[in-house]
Amino acid sequence: MSIFLECPYPVQMSADPQVTAVAAGHPRRAVIEQAWRAIGPGVEVLSSDDGGPLTRTIKRIIDPLVLRLRSNPQYSAPVVTPDCAAAMHQLIVDNAPQLRAAAAWFEVLKLERRRMRIRSGNAQELYFPVCFELAVTKGAPTPEDSDTPAVVLHDIHQGRDRTAIEVLNEYVASPEVVAALTDQLDRSWRDVQGEDVVTGPFLAQLSTVLGSVNSHGASVARQRVWSAVIADTTPYNLGALARIEAGETGELPWSIVTLGLSSVAPQRRPRVHGGLDDSDGGRPLDRTVVDRVRATLRRALDRDALPDVPLLCDEEVDRACAPWGLLGEDKQATLVTGIEVAVELAPLDRSVTSRYALAAQIQARLRKEAYVLHARRYLAEGGPIHPRQQQVIDDLAAYSQPYLSRLWARLHGRDVWQEPCDDVDDVRSLLEGVARSVSLDHRQRIKSMLELQVAG
Amino acid sequence: MRLVADSGLWSTAPADRPSTPAPLVAVLEVSGAVLSWTVDDSPDDGATRITFTDLSRADWLWRVVGDSGHVALASVVDDHPSDDPRGIELAGVDIVPGSLGPLRRLALGHWLRRWWPASRRDGIVGLDRALLDVEVAVLTAGAQGFFSDDTLDSDVTGLLTPHAAALITDLRTGDPRVGDLVRAGAGLADEVGLDGVDWLELSAALDDSSAALTMSTGRQDDYALAAGSETGPRGAAAISRGVASISWSAVPPGIFDAAENTVEWTIEEPGTAAVVRAALIGPDPATGIPVQLRSGAITGISALDAAGHARLPLVDTARQPMTESAAWNHDWAATSIQVGAPATESPETRERVRRWARRRLDRPADDAFLAEILAAESAY
Repeated sequence: MSIFLECPYPVQMSADPQVTAVAAGHPRRAVIEQAWRAIGPGVEVLSSDDGGPLTRTIKRIIDPLVLRLRSNPQYSAPVVTPDCAAAMHQLIVDNAPQLRAAAAWFEVLKLERRRMRIRSGNAQELYFPVCFELAVTKGAPTPEDSDTPAVVLHDIHQGRDRTAIEVLNEYVASPEVVAALTDQLDRSWRDVQGEDVVTGPFLAQLSTVLGSVNSHGASVARQRVWSAVIADTTPYNLGALARIEAGETGELPWSIVTLGLSSVAPQRRPRVHGGLDDSDGGRPLDRTVVDRVRATLRRALDRDALPDVPLLCDEEVDRACAPWGLLGEDKQATLVTGIEVAVELAPLDRSVTSRYALAAQIQARLRKEAYVLHARRYLAEGGPIHPRQQQVIDDLAAYSQPYLSRLWARLHGRDVWQEPCDDVDDVRSLLEGVARSVSLDHRQRIKSMLELQVAG
Repeated sequence: MRLVADSGLWSTAPADRPSTPAPLVAVLEVSGAVLSWTVDDSPDDGATRITFTDLSRADWLWRVVGDSGHVALASVVDDHPSDDPRGIELAGVDIVPGSLGPLRRLALGHWLRRWWPASRRDGIVGLDRALLDVEVAVLTAGAQGFFSDDTLDSDVTGLLTPHAAALITDLRTGDPRVGDLVRAGAGLADEVGLDGVDWLELSAALDDSSAALTMSTGRQDDYALAAGSETGPRGAAAISRGVASISWSAVPPGIFDAAENTVEWTIEEPGTAAVVRAALIGPDPATGIPVQLRSGAITGISALDAAGHARLPLVDTARQPMTESAAWNHDWAATSIQVGAPATESPETRERVRRWARRRLDRPADDAFLAEILAAESAY
């Protein structure tokens, strides 16, 4: 078929530097759309009315399973090089048979969903990845294979996270297991010893990491500084300092209680399990080992393989005892960097000035997003439009707490799966992404405080 | 295309009017940008203001400015700090004609949900909430390519959730336009996984269309809740009386009549208090909305009850209750009443919105929502 031969992105084959030096590129999403249209008929259920792929198709199938962004980060840039564009195009077109089969599977699953009278959950969100998986392993659905759809839906809707969490609950129901983990925790906690900390030079480096660059050279330099930051012992030592009384070997530049990372200062030794506040809530550094493992299992839905529960618990004990509750030094450094950003964010406060360009940038976005609420009559200028919103508005003033809570959770995930934070652009976009999701969460709460009125 | 710095963000700059007051601005928050329009502007693309909150997340940009425009914008914005007062001139980057039309319509739908000046006094008919929300939800699903990141405006589920019961009622009118919209909404609800009993009933009602068509009932009267709330007791001896207006940006929508001079106040003898009565439109109650009176050194503060009434004990600067004789001697001419938050827009702005709303009712625009068309029809 001609689609396999024609590529709309002629790649420069000659080594003429003057030609390749011309800044060129293609918007990532445009590349995906064009390749998608080249697939032709058979993928309608994965497409929007105008024939492009659904955003969910991209997020749940194309990005993770076809382009495999985790191992091909070059395909995730907003604007990709002509070489990348050509490679992406080819990958998508090469997967045309699987994508058509996935579309057929989606139709089959939707029918089965209706037959089983299942209405819960977003069908596209839940079924898309499974459909592609089935397409790869089984090809297109056949009429003879009548069991698969029911089995698949049962699997999805009974929740394999629940199954894993049951395994966890059974495991820690054993007193011997808990005793062994507690022993390990005692040792591990004692093993962490901080040294004296001088934060000055470290914070100066953060100014570069969180500053702006306007040349290729500067961005190379910024990456170099970040590489130095994650090799620095300061984040580790600051984390160790968080667990001893102030004054002995210096003092943290911030209060971990005000930051919302811990309910008390100094940080207490985490417990393995149980107690009264063994719940999803609570501050990140207060969480028990079992809680932390449970969070991992919940987030593991999209992973190919479920990790071994005893192994996870074992590792989580050491992680809970590590400074900032994170093993990776790059994760510890990212959290400390995030703290420096978080303390400068205040969506409803015009007067805030920022020491860091990135914090100023995020603050500008937060202000614009607050303006959207005002333009929609969900907020008066800078304040509640109904007294009922006051509590949420007060929460907004303590922006660093939800921000750091969410950043910590993301870093915890990366720590568990050993995904690095060594790329400065990636770290910066992580810090930005956390601000985006906290802001959305806050604004939805402000909105729903008004809508309560409709219900009541 | 020209970019200008806007409080630390880059913004496209046609008709740069950052001072357009809130009641006249229709906004839409998409992935990486906030788009805004002035509601009574002509609907051409040039009037769109795009403020980039994060250009790297605006993966739809090529649809609006073409591939090369997208690449040019991305590289320029990366290289310039967004506080450069000179702005950036981008030659050859222009908005693809018509590419923003569906987004403007969506922004308008959100505006209608929040600012439509429904008023019994001014004869501006209210819009059917359920049908409006469903149409906005359907448009949002159609624009899913602009919502790679969840934003305040990507929430299809939130728009649909409260309306299953109302849609069943709407369906019974037998109006085929309503039927089509409800069908689209129910399909969407199924897709996003709304599994409440009401939604199952709606699906059943749609499947059983013969029953739906025969049960034609009248349309709901959106004003029902607020009926009769305007007549207050006028017998008590009033020391003084007057009227005031409500600033729309100071109060949530769906409570007050949007006409001018809808707040009546009287200064009454027993206990020396101000009695305030605001005209309501509903469907939401006025409960808890703060109200303040200021007249020279005299102040009073309270909150409205569900019917829009409040009694404000009056005090002087020393926080002492005002005596009756002081009240008789006071000059009440310069009395001001503030309902809601300390925010305001000019009466001219409100009149401009009413004028525009009346025009849309008189002659429904090409981009009119079904809720507007039905309101226009019911006005005759």
